[in-house]
Amino acid sequence: MIRTTTLDGSDIAFEPKHFAQGGMKNVHWVEGRRAVIGFYRNKPDPQGMERLQAIVGAHRKSILEGAGGDTLAKLFRWPEALVAWNNTIGVVVPVFDGQFFFEYGSFDNDRLRIKGREKEGKWFASAHNRTTFLDGREAGDWLGYLKICIRLARAVRRMHASGLAHSDLSYKNVLVDPITGDACIIDIDGLVVPDKFPPEVVGTPDFVAPEVVATQHLEITDGRRKLPSMQTDLHALAVLIYMYLTLRHPLKGRKIHDPEDSAKDDALSMGKQALFIEHPGDASNRINTEHVRDSELPWADTDKMPMTLCGPLIADLFQKAFIDGLHDPAKRPRADDWERALVYTADMLLPCQNAQCTGKWFVFDNSHDPTCPFCHTAYGQDVPILNLYSARSGESFRPDSYRVTVYDGIGLYAWHANRFKSPNERLAAADRARLGYFRKHEGKWHLVNEGLPHMKDVKTDAPIAIGGSTLLEDGAQILLDAQNGGRLIHVQLAGDPKKTPRERGD
Amino acid sequence: MRRLPVYILLDTSGSMRGEPIHAVNNSMQVLLSTLRQDPHALDTVHISLITFDLEARVMQELTPLEQFPAVDLKTPNSGPTFLGEALKTVGQKVKSEVRVGSDDGKGDWAPLLFVMTDGKPSDTQTFNEQVEAIKSAGFAAMVGCGAGPSADVTALKRFCTSVAMLDTLDGPGFEQFFQWVSDVIADGSRSQNAGPAQVTELPPPPSEINIVI
Repeated sequence: MIRTTTLDGSDIAFEPKHFAQGGMKNVHWVEGRRAVIGFYRNKPDPQGMERLQAIVGAHRKSILEGAGGDTLAKLFRWPEALVAWNNTIGVVVPVFDGQFFFEYGSFDNDRLRIKGREKEGKWFASAHNRTTFLDGREAGDWLGYLKICIRLARAVRRMHASGLAHSDLSYKNVLVDPITGDACIIDIDGLVVPDKFPPEVVGTPDFVAPEVVATQHLEITDGRRKLPSMQTDLHALAVLIYMYLTLRHPLKGRKIHDPEDSAKDDALSMGKQALFIEHPGDASNRINTEHVRDSELPWADTDKMPMTLCGPLIADLFQKAFIDGLHDPAKRPRADDWERALVYTADMLLPCQNAQCTGKWFVFDNSHDPTCPFCHTAYGQDVPILNLYSARSGESFRPDSYRVTVYDGIGLYAWHANRFKSPNERLAAADRARLGYFRKHEGKWHLVNEGLPHMKDVKTDAPIAIGGSTLLEDGAQILLDAQNGGRLIHVQLAGDPKKTPRERGD
Repeated sequence: MRRLPVYILLDTSGSMRGEPIHAVNNSMQVLLSTLRQDPHALDTVHISLITFDLEARVMQELTPLEQFPAVDLKTPNSGPTFLGEALKTVGQKVKSEVRVGSDDGKGDWAPLLFVMTDGKPSDTQTFNEQVEAIKSAGFAAMVGCGAGPSADVTALKRFCTSVAMLDTLDGPGFEQFFQWVSDVIADGSRSQNAGPAQVTELPPPPSEINIVI
């Protein structure tokens, strides 16, 4: 063990020999294996040092020690300290949590021997990898990927809020666990601050924004050259979300730009000529399903698995990211737009009734006969829908464009009851408890109140006391919270398969 | 789907008999299992194996990484080293196997070539002819490895974009070389669409290998 102190004066001991090598660093174990130190093979220049100092200092403090720091700490592998040794600089980072290592690994009793290795995103973002190679117990379900995307959007939102760009978001720099839905951004030492710390890398193929690809041939000093920034992070974030949820790349379709040279063809299809594979008005870059491996189907078939399977809120953002904002960075959805749409979408899920389904959860598509897009099993049950309204300026309640689908056992939380609360890192501990739940009993739906003191039936003005319950009927209006921002739910009963649309009167 | 085609040419002439060929077999196995732990490689890499001694033999046509069978190369008792024939064969294979972009689909990535020999080409005339042909066959990189004291590095230098030398024909040396091969392939499977006309930069070889060019 080598014993020394970090630049901020704490004692540290680490193994003299590295156990792994990264692109720029040799990685050594810290005593007790609670952390690792990555020593730069080439000592950073003074500007690089200043960047590292800011990352382990001011930025670490503001993000990890501020509001919700405990929650945020799980989303990042944030550098802790710097160590000067052997004429170079090392960055101390904590080790990953256990869920980010494969427990079962690959198919056939881990034929590929990946058990214990890091869960790099590429295993899960490619249909071929996910379906052919992974042990079924590693693949997770669609809700797991939705949660991963929420955490990713949250992490990026928080970095951007501090004026920091990651600059190299990719499935390589994000560890994911579809089983718990956890995600963790790694490689944070390349953070970019506009006009202060310039980017060091262009990014990772598949995730580099079109304007960066298109101007890559220009000199770095050329004013027209586009470099990684928050706006390019937003492109990478949209691509990551699209890939985790639909298992295909949004720009990799059939269109050929240069038949002779694959590299040039790719530079055009990811850069200047980039075109969304699901562009509703231009079908020229649709994936040709005759040219994909069987393992990539049905995901590669955008007719069978259109982006709308992710629900209207996410599909809308995909269009903004890959049509409106593809070549116009200012129009890209921001990370908070993504986080909100993803969180709301998680409230529009239904559990697939087929126990063997790999998706297990799917977004309610507003139809009377919801069917799982992954295994085509009909849901076959009625679906109460809660349309959320919130109080604005006194007594009037306005729609929030937020709908919650109800299934047996689902809970009601503070962020449903009040518009000013969101299920993110700033949610107070007291607001994390369940406040109510829904139960189907003898063919009828009941809402049980566990913690909402103002709950009442608006039509009859009858209070629904804590511990009491009310029947959910079509058209019912229930006030959840009478405080500022408090919500009212309007109940719709949909998806009753026992009735035909005519009998339902629609 | 774009594939990354990888052609591996291995010398199986008589001088490789015994421990060297066993070491190469072992290293090939290590190469395959290392690449199979890399999700990027699994998604794109296709490998073909061609051996050469008194003839060039396609041991395995271009095959997806996960389906590549176990390798068990044998050597004849003695005989020539037909490197020229091997280059000719790989040239033909690239023409017939590597897809170019068309209405029928996206083209493959520019292929990679790895050549390992412990001797010098015996088919001098064919070799001379093939040197120019292989240079225009469209490889993104051609990596040569001269193994042991009798390897003719000059011949490799005539067409390879980088040449490494192993001082001895033994297990650790081959392992190091194949580790480098694996790094180059893994890097290639990751750094696609590096942008317009960028020179393919190989990852650094392990310290035990001497780079000649």
